[in-house]
Amino acid sequence: MRRLYLMLSTLVLLSGCASSTPRMAEVRAFAADAPKLGAYHELTERYRHTYQRQQPFMYPAADSREQQLDARRQQACDDFVKLQYGLQAYMQALGALAGDSQYDLEDQVKSLSTGIKAWPDTGLEDRHVNAYAGLVRLAARAFTGPLQENTVDTMLREGQQSMQQVLDAMRTLLRLYSKSSDNEEDLVIGMLESEIPFLDTTRDRLLLALARSRQQEKEAEFRLIGLRFTLARKNLDLIAQRHRALLQNLPAE
Amino acid sequence: MADPQQQARLEALADSLSACADALHQRLMRALRKSTPDGALPGISQRVAQALFEQEVQLRQRANSLYLDAAMQAAGGLQAQQQQLAELAARAELIIARIDRAKDLLDLAGELIGAGAAIASGRPERMLPSLEKLKHHIEAL
Repeated sequence: MRRLYLMLSTLVLLSGCASSTPRMAEVRAFAADAPKLGAYHELTERYRHTYQRQQPFMYPAADSREQQLDARRQQACDDFVKLQYGLQAYMQALGALAGDSQYDLEDQVKSLSTGIKAWPDTGLEDRHVNAYAGLVRLAARAFTGPLQENTVDTMLREGQQSMQQVLDAMRTLLRLYSKSSDNEEDLVIGMLESEIPFLDTTRDRLLLALARSRQQEKEAEFRLIGLRFTLARKNLDLIAQRHRALLQNLPAE
Repeated sequence: MADPQQQARLEALADSLSACADALHQRLMRALRKSTPDGALPGISQRVAQALFEQEVQLRQRANSLYLDAAMQAAGGLQAQQQQLAELAARAELIIARIDRAKDLLDLAGELIGAGAAIASGRPERMLPSLEKLKHHIEAL
């Protein structure tokens, strides 16, 4: 009889352990995308170092103009990289709050019951223990379940506008970096292209070979960078899209 | 506050300068490939080619300078937003810490019951490890 009671109550307890809602799972999936902001960081750093890459291909007049631009760019990039930090922290905090185990007090409830079970000769029976554990579990769920949803929803609501504005700015910056990179490409490859025809195919054979192979390398580099820009943009679009979906599913206040 | 209109204006201006530079580059490359009347290649002197290219570079640098201005417009004035996101993240950490404390207290309750049961059983050899565990936990809190 006692064993039956124990089995029954264990069943009740197990069915009570359902984890958080699908909506919280969506929040966690959204937060898991935070590292994808790394592509933005990488391209901001590349933008910051434009001058060093361009320098060997510039005449003195162009070089001195570029130095002035470089000074301004360095300063601005300090701000540009910061854009992602708050965003990343916010996303990760949301993910932690929506965490599957964050509000799960199952371990504590279990240790409560095992703590008591160790003393069978005190008059405390299994049914007392289970009834007690069940009550604790109920109390814990009633307390933490709605608290989790409410906290996550409040965080989503309050961060909504800032999140969108910062994401928009990052997207715009990526587009501008990309256009600037196109000009860098044309400046570097254009210099090689317009100087190579003046080389003497016999006398300057070595220089010609070096210049052509450098041109090929640079073309390959910019092709790759073009792909990185596409990827970074897609990452931002994905994050923005998931964020919009989360907001749409927010319950009315 | 970021000014999207100003940013769009700067970007459009930079776009048109870049397009001019592209057109200039195409003309330069055409001239280089076209031979002189006596059949010599390239069709223009190196001095002229370099002067033309210098014009092109100037246009691209002007364009890139404007792209930077536009970027500064886009990123400018977002301090409040960044601040808010960071504050929300900090608040979440506090909430998580509070929940962790609640878990600790529940653990503690379990140990208290264990110790209580040990005392009720009247067996001192069982009491000691329970009390020891409790002591460690309270010290760790």
